[in-house]
Amino acid sequence: MAIHLYLSLMPEALIASMLSPEEFGTYYAVGSAKKSRGQAMFFEVDPNYRHPYFRTDEAYARCVPHEDGSLKSSVYISVYRVLEHVNLDALIRLYLTTMDGRTLELTPDDNIPNGTGQLHLYQELAPVTPLVVSRLGPTQFLDQIVRNPVSLVTVPSIVFTELQLGELAEDPEMGLIDHLPYTNHDHLRQCLTDVKTKFVSTKMVDRTHSPNVQYRTIKNGFFVGNIEQLRYFPMPTPEEIRKDNYRWFRSANM
Amino acid sequence: MNNHLTWVYIAIVAGIASMAVALYLYFWVLKQDPGTERAQEVASWIKEGSNAYLLKLYRSLGILALIIGVIIAVVFGVQPETAESGAVTMIWREGLIMAIAFVGGAVCSGIAGFLGMRVAVEANVRTATAANFSLSKAFKLSFNAGAVLGLAMVGMAVIGMSLLYLWTGSAEAVLGFSFGASTLALLAKAGGGIYTKTADIAADLVGKVEVGIPEDDPRNPAVVADNVGDNVGDVAGMGADIFDSYVASTVAVMLLGASMGLSQADHMKYTVVPLVLCLLGIFASLIGIFLVRVKEGQKPGPALNRGTIITTILFTLFLFVFVCFTDVNPGVFWAALTGLITGVIIGFTSDYFTNDEQKPVKETSRVSTSGSAINIITGYSYGLISIVPSVIGIAAATLISFHVAEHFGMSGIYGIGISAVGMLSISGMIVSADAYGPIVDNARGIAEMAGMDHEVIVRADELDSAGNTAKAITKGFSISAAALTVIALFAAYAEVVEAAGVDLAISLREPLVVAGVFLGAMTPPLFSALTMLSVTHNAFDMIEEVRRQFREEPGILAGTHKPDYARCVSLAAEGALSSLILPAFLAVGLPLLVGFVLGPDALGGFLGGAIFTGVIFALLMSNAGGLWDNAKKYIETGKFGGPGSEAHKAAVVGDTVGDPFKDTAGPSLNTLITVMSLVSSLFAPIIALFHLIK
Repeated sequence: MAIHLYLSLMPEALIASMLSPEEFGTYYAVGSAKKSRGQAMFFEVDPNYRHPYFRTDEAYARCVPHEDGSLKSSVYISVYRVLEHVNLDALIRLYLTTMDGRTLELTPDDNIPNGTGQLHLYQELAPVTPLVVSRLGPTQFLDQIVRNPVSLVTVPSIVFTELQLGELAEDPEMGLIDHLPYTNHDHLRQCLTDVKTKFVSTKMVDRTHSPNVQYRTIKNGFFVGNIEQLRYFPMPTPEEIRKDNYRWFRSANM
Repeated sequence: MNNHLTWVYIAIVAGIASMAVALYLYFWVLKQDPGTERAQEVASWIKEGSNAYLLKLYRSLGILALIIGVIIAVVFGVQPETAESGAVTMIWREGLIMAIAFVGGAVCSGIAGFLGMRVAVEANVRTATAANFSLSKAFKLSFNAGAVLGLAMVGMAVIGMSLLYLWTGSAEAVLGFSFGASTLALLAKAGGGIYTKTADIAADLVGKVEVGIPEDDPRNPAVVADNVGDNVGDVAGMGADIFDSYVASTVAVMLLGASMGLSQADHMKYTVVPLVLCLLGIFASLIGIFLVRVKEGQKPGPALNRGTIITTILFTLFLFVFVCFTDVNPGVFWAALTGLITGVIIGFTSDYFTNDEQKPVKETSRVSTSGSAINIITGYSYGLISIVPSVIGIAAATLISFHVAEHFGMSGIYGIGISAVGMLSISGMIVSADAYGPIVDNARGIAEMAGMDHEVIVRADELDSAGNTAKAITKGFSISAAALTVIALFAAYAEVVEAAGVDLAISLREPLVVAGVFLGAMTPPLFSALTMLSVTHNAFDMIEEVRRQFREEPGILAGTHKPDYARCVSLAAEGALSSLILPAFLAVGLPLLVGFVLGPDALGGFLGGAIFTGVIFALLMSNAGGLWDNAKKYIETGKFGGPGSEAHKAAVVGDTVGDPFKDTAGPSLNTLITVMSLVSSLFAPIIALFHLIK
């Protein structure tokens, strides 16, 4: 029986499981007898990936069917500083699971969006989860976080997604804001105006923002990066999702 | 119109033709492809739930009809000579006729509702299957299925009333028929309304809000009860409601026709005229229904509206020819036309307040960004404003039809009654368009639950959207028709009391009348509160049940374990039926209590108070509820943050508040005021002689 290796983002954890990605997503989102439930995002990691930081083989040895023959759902390998110890080339696919357990698969793409000349709203997903605005495109944003030699605050690796800003991306002062589902519109507008008009290139909107993401607000996709590289997992358009994965489309309120 | 009985025979032929076409369409629907095994399995859950509820409802109604029938037989068999002497004459035939008429009314309404429900639960899966191929095919199937209820309803009503009139030659006997139909309607509408909202609220609050699963998801234990609710509330309930108004308006005019100070021949002629209007409406509806078609690429909404407009024009034409070639007073034509035009205008103005392209819905959606309190205040306020055009329409129809009738030398009150009959004469078409709504709603649910392709869902969505508009129009239409009907019934009540030798003095300078007005005005709000409290009470129980199922069986959410749908269906049915006792007492018992204690003048005041607050509350609740519902749907299209946003959460609260407004209390109020008017008219001769305070 194949064992899968998953890198969960909420919480940041490396998990061995006998479940397929779709089954794992359902299990992770809607819970088991323990009644835990909620949105889930996780990468499928190359099952042959090894790093001395993780006791992966030991976990694999424990990942065996239960006495009644049912598959082992999860063996947690690590729940601390996981992302920074994973080689990004080992990340095969990203899975987005809705609150009620429907899973969408995203595959990586080399065409990373540029996004210069616009304002951006980034939701960081791991290892920390603030909501920030920036005038930097995804690549420059990553550089600032993981490679900026003058910054006091850096992280070795990061996963983030860019959220839609609509007209605010061009015109934070006057752009229409009514159709954006974010709270505290005035504060968001002020932060965007600041990064557009002042010296700072990035500003935190919400330091304890919930890592739960309304999937339909995602502008282009998910980014995972470290000092060596940036990988991009684009989100299909709503039309494509509706056509190819209607159940997920409905479940995610697209 | 020298031989008026010929027209009664023609009315029977029209009724039979209507029933024959209804049966033809019923069997045509059954011949269509029922789809895949999975789709049929899902449909069978809904069918079983609907049948189980109907069985329970009709069993309870059967017992109730029997008890009331016996009471009527005794009360109307014992004819007092005078109140003072206490001497009575036993005329058992009279009592039996009235009892048979009462049971007949309930049975005819029940048959129409049963047929409508049967075809709805067969047509839903077939519509979903047809949507695999084309929108036009799915539309044709669902609309034809809706037409089964529309045509069966008018057919059974006209056959029942005509046969009874032929047998007894008395409009009073038809009043008993109407009372039977109204009693069934009250229980079917209020019971169906409580059922459907209990299931809807539980399915939404736990499934959508707490657990996050989408609408019509088969993992939701309340989803089948929710779909069953669409049938029992919107098919059986609405059918019984319009049947009731249709019969009540006809009988009110028959009574007024019989009491007009004319020669014997003219008495009979003007008693039969409302039946003629019904038969003309049947023929117009039959043609209109067969002209409602959608070609591929066309939208279904305009096709439904076109059907209504064509039927209206045809009916007007038929009536014009009838008046031209008979010796019937031309005032009949103008009064009926007034009612007809008013009905159509009120129907479409109701749509303004619930249409998401108009200001009220957009504004309520916009302010939802500030929270649920503002959403509720705004929606409620627009609901209050929505009363204005309808009330002006009703007032205008009342005044115009009165004066037009007087101008042509007829009784003005008779003209008002004719305007109500005119408005309801095209009920065959109106109900067909209305019953189409829940059928396509169910079809969409089945497509979701059976995992059909997204193209099917897209087509079902388009069909469903047209159904919602038709539903809004029908609600405005039925409330206005009920208002005019009860004005005519009020006049009929006065005629019956005065025929018993009592001078009715309904003046606000009389304390008994004022007391009656207050008691009457109190009744519709109280009735609304009771039915809505039933919804919250039953929904609370069902919410606990749905939570229990999710808690105790995690496999339900994982999709590996089937929920216990039957438990939720049973909870909703038992809760709805047991909640009907107090509202039923209010409708039947309270007018009798007021009449026998305070006398006929106070009862007149009571009816007046009930009619006015009843109409106001019915319009407010139906329109505000529809507005909140569409404000939520508007946000779900991505406006103001879209689904999951703070605005959406606020709109969901508004929609949940509005659910029992628009589908339980609001639409039941028409039936309440009709039942109260009928029971008062029926018992008026006895109340006139026996009442406590002289």
